Order: sequence, then structure tokens, then C-alpha cells
Amino acid sequence: MERSVEVSHLSKSYNGQSVVKDISFDISKGEVFGLIGPNGAGKTTIIRMLLDIIRPDSGEIRILNDTLSGELKNKIGYLPEERGLYKKLTVMETLLYLGALKDMKSKERALMFLDKMGMFPHKDKKISELSKGMQQKIQLIAALIHDPEFIILDEPYSGLDPVNMKLVKDLIIELGNEGKTILISTHMMDQVERMCDRIFMIHKGKGVLYGSVDEIRSRYGKNTVLLEFEGELTNIPGVRKINNSGNYAELILDQGADPREILKILAAMVRVNKFEISMPSLNEIFIEVVEGT
Amino acid sequence: MSKWATIAKHEYLTNIKRKEFLFVTFGIPLFMFATMGISFLFMGIGSHDVGYKIGYIDRTGQFETTNFTKYTNEEMARKDLLDNKLTNYFVIPENYTATGRILIYSSKKNFADNLKIEEQIRTFLLANLLKNEPPEIIQRINKPIIGEYYTLNDKGLTNEDNGITILLVPIVFSLLFTLSIFTSSGFLLQGVVEEKENRIIEVILSSVSHKELLQGKIIGLGALGLTQISMWLVVASSLILINPVILLLVVSQIHISISLLVYAMFYFALGYLIFASIMAGVGAVSTTSREGQQIAGIFSLAGAFPLMFAQFIITSPNDVLARALSIFPLTSPTAMIMRLSLTEVPLYELMISLILLVVSAYFIMELSVRIFRASLLMYGKKPTIQELIKYVRQS
Repeated sequence: MERSVEVSHLSKSYNGQSVVKDISFDISKGEVFGLIGPNGAGKTTIIRMLLDIIRPDSGEIRILNDTLSGELKNKIGYLPEERGLYKKLTVMETLLYLGALKDMKSKERALMFLDKMGMFPHKDKKISELSKGMQQKIQLIAALIHDPEFIILDEPYSGLDPVNMKLVKDLIIELGNEGKTILISTHMMDQVERMCDRIFMIHKGKGVLYGSVDEIRSRYGKNTVLLEFEGELTNIPGVRKINNSGNYAELILDQGADPREILKILAAMVRVNKFEISMPSLNEIFIEVVEGT
Repeated sequence: MSKWATIAKHEYLTNIKRKEFLFVTFGIPLFMFATMGISFLFMGIGSHDVGYKIGYIDRTGQFETTNFTKYTNEEMARKDLLDNKLTNYFVIPENYTATGRILIYSSKKNFADNLKIEEQIRTFLLANLLKNEPPEIIQRINKPIIGEYYTLNDKGLTNEDNGITILLVPIVFSLLFTLSIFTSSGFLLQGVVEEKENRIIEVILSSVSHKELLQGKIIGLGALGLTQISMWLVVASSLILINPVILLLVVSQIHISISLLVYAMFYFALGYLIFASIMAGVGAVSTTSREGQQIAGIFSLAGAFPLMFAQFIITSPNDVLARALSIFPLTSPTAMIMRLSLTEVPLYELMISLILLVVSAYFIMELSVRIFRASLLMYGKKPTIQELIKYVRQS
């Protein structure tokens, strides 16, 4: 399979403190790839190195079969985590300037995206007159305006309300269907779990998990039960951990525990509305991995 | 269009609309003209001699005038002074021709008045002392020299300015020059810090290299500075053209040679380049615009040095201080332009100054790009000097 991004043995330290340690991964063409990990894990640092905004101490990066050049930057779209725009410019001025920096005459595409994102009526407003959510959408459009082959989205959902979150999600899926290579970086693992083909999980600058979401989840075994219930959950033999959300819970079973036995105990304890043997969530796997290290 | 050109265009167009730019371009020259006009006005008022009533007592019996009231009795004069019938009176003692002593009494203590009164008494004394001489001689003794200065060199004979314009030209010129450099490089600093503060710099750097960004900014804002200077020239020349009296005055008094203009252009471009690069570096390491302005203040102070020492440079343009300031890169643009408009600067000094300026402009620009690259995204934390040196070495 053709590779869009190849990262090998990437390291970076600030003031003697190592932020990214010997990281290697690659992203196939047309893949939706998740770079996940908690805040401060080094995700943004990796992205900045991908974009040649900061230089790695060691390691190699190849994007679209090229080392980083000005040409190449035109093929990459970037939505940074720290959002910001020129406050005094209008929406159109902003989009046209940022498009021009990618060597693109982008007026039609800008109007198309504004329409799609429900921002068309605001095109001549100043950025400072827009709400935060609107500014976010403008910034997302700015990342896509030059029709990039490779799109990097750093925390694309932060600060969005559910309606806009769905809008952005649909847009990402659409871009994925168009065959764009997409890197989503986030600490909200449940958000990417269903959307990403493969993930790379980092913790304290080190890679801890790498592979397809399904593969990783099955690797960690079918030892999770999703439960909908009414009543009071107490300790259950054979259950190592209960993530209880009131009338919904995720039960992590002991190694070798039989789910049928658990169901019997549960049936006696609470009223069971739904019982599903499931693979663990990425969140759970992550916590397990981190606690294990 | 190349990316730096896109950035330059953007910087130019957004900054030219700024209120600060319009204020500096039109407000400050207006203010300067206004203050100058006011001081001329006051000079005019001060030169009227009305209001002095002077009396005198002549103990030699040789001095006569119609301008002053003659008293024979000092008591009378003293009484009139106290009654405000006189503002001053003076006594010519018997031994005056031997000693030159004149005793002057005033109702109020005022230094400026004293000078004027002394001038009047002087004319009166001279007229009396020389009353047997022809009037031309008296006039010549009153003002024995009206100097005209010429420079004789291999290029021939040149008439030099004298009077107030010789001071005005270099001061106004270097003031505007410095103002323009500071405005443009100040905008650069502000722009970098603003882009850092609102985080858009990350988006821009995902499209262009650090160098392109810096080049674009420096060129765009440099063009802004040139626009500013051209606007001043246009306003100044239209003012001159409107008023034929000023036109005559200026044409007869000011000699700005073509070579001076060419040098001024060079010094402006290089001086701006140095300050702009410094401001870009300062912008990259500072976390807020206030902090940036504080650090930048130190460099601006160095740049304003020649203006602070303007009177020394003007009175002795070939002294050590003037020469040193016209060679040191941060001060040389302004200081050298001042000297060039005042005196003949040896070619080797001009060359040393220009070469130093070019070399340091290049190095400071390189250094700024590196600092820019190394410390741009260290939000909320100012790097220490040691860290900076390390980053600069690394990149």
C-alpha cells in the first residue's frame, strides 16, 4: 500500500526534557489515522515536526514521498489545536489570504465551504464579530481551502457544540471518502475510535499502542461487559473494575472469568436491561497500558 | 506570486490602514510644524522693544541722546523707578572711559531684559563715543563681520548654507528618518507578537517557512516606511509649491545634493533592515506585546542616540563622538546622514560605516531567523539567554 507519511525514530527534547522519544509510525494513503494520548503526551510536538515548524533532534520524516519543502506545504492542510485568526480581517479576507499562502486562488472553494458550514451569511463580517464556534469553523475551512492531499486536524472537536461536532464529523468522513489522508490528533479517544482506521497512541512522548482499532481491541481480549441496568451495583466476584455511570456501566472482567457466571450474579443483583460482551474501549485500554507501564 | 510577496502585500495593506500609521505619518509632522510655528511666533513677540523706559545719569557730561530720559539727580531717577515711571536707569561714572563700568538699575530681575537693555545702552555709548566718525564706520563697528562660507576642493567651489537652515535640515531629516524606521520596525514587532498571541502563526508556518515569513514581513513593512517618507516628501513639496515665498526661501537656502539623497536611501534601507530584524527576534522571544516593547525599548534607545546628541554632532560633525556614532551600526544611519548634510565625510569613513552596516544587517537577520525558528512556539515562557544561544547553535 502506498504510504502518505513515514515517520521513523523521531525524538525531540526541550531543555533536556525529552518530549518525544524514538517514535515511528506510518500512514497509508487515504487512511484516517488517529494520533491519540492524554494532554501533554507530545502529540502537538509531533505534528509541528511533521509540518517543519520545529525541527526534530533526530529521526526522519517523509510526507507524500518527499522531505519537507515549500512545495509540499501546499499539499498539507492543518488545523492547529491553538485556534486563532486575525481579529480585524473579514472572513473572506482571512480565507483568501490563508489560501494565497498555499499558492491557491481559492475564492470559489471558500464560498463552497462557507455554504456547506452554514457560514455564508457571515462572509463579510470581521472575525472579531464571530462566536467562538464560528471562528472554529472558519479555521477548519482555512485548513481545507487549498484542497490538500494530507490533512492534519489537532483536536478538531474541542469547543464545538453537538450540532457543529456532527457537522465536522460528517465533513471528516466525507474527506476520508474522497481519498484524503487524514491525521486526527485528540485526547478524546472515544471520538476517534469509530472513525479511525488505525491509531497510534502515545504516553509521555513514547509510543504505547499502534495498529488498527479492532486489532488493538481484540488484542486486549473480550473481557468487557457493557451493561444497562436499574438498581445498585456492588462488588461482583470475577469483575476487576466497574466504570459505573448510574444506570450504564462498563465491567472489566478478571482474566479467565466467565461472562455467563457474571450475568447470573448480575441478574440476582439488579434489573438488567442490556448485557453485551464487548471489546474494551480505547480509553480503558489506554488506562490499562499506562497503569501497566 | 511567491509566498514572501503574498505576506509582504498582506502586511503592507493591513498596516497602511492602521490608525497608528496615519497618526505617525500625518499627526507628528503636523505637531512638529505647529511647535516650530509657535516658537517662531514667540520669537517675533519677544523682539519688540516696546515697554522699556530707560533713564540715565551722566557724570562725565559727554553723552547725549533722545532715546533715554536724562536725569541730573540720581534720587529723582530712583524715585521714578520705584514709581514705575522708569523700567531701568543707568549711571555713567566719571571714570567711565578708563574702566568701562556702567551701573544699571532695574525694577525687576530679568535676564532676557538685561541683555536687550545692555544692547540699547551699547548702541547709545558707541554713537556718543564715535560721534566724530562717519556713520559707515559706526555701522561697521556695530557689526564688523557678516561671514559667508565656501568650501574649496577638487570638485570646485561650493557655497554653503548658513543660518538656521543648516541646523534645521539635518535635524528634521534625521528625526523623520528615525521616526519612519521606528514606526515600521515597531509594527513588525507588534505583528509578530500579535500573531504569536492569537496563535495564527502556526497556521502561517504550516504554509511558509520561517524565512519566507520574516522576509515577507520585513519587505512589506519596509515598503510601508518608504510610503511614509514619500508621503512626507509629497506633502512638503506641495506646501512649498503652494507658497512662493517659502519656495524662494527653500531654494536659496537648502542644498540637498543628489548624492546625499542616494546615501540617505541606502542608510534608510539598511538601518530599517537592522531594526526590523532586531524587532522580529525580540518579538519571537517575548510572550506579550508589553514585554516585547520593553525589550525593544533598549534597542530603540540606541537608535535614538544620535538625536539625543544631535547638538554635538551638528556643532562638531568631525569629532570623535560624531564619527563613532556614524560608524556603529545601530546609530550610523541617522548619525551619518546628519554628518553628510553638515560636512565633508572622508570616503573611507563612509565605506567603513556602510560595510559594517551591511555585514551586521546580514548577521542580525540570520540570527533573527534562527531565534525566530527556535523560540517562536514556546508559548508563555521566555527563553533564557543560555537557551537562546543553544537554540541558535542548533538550528
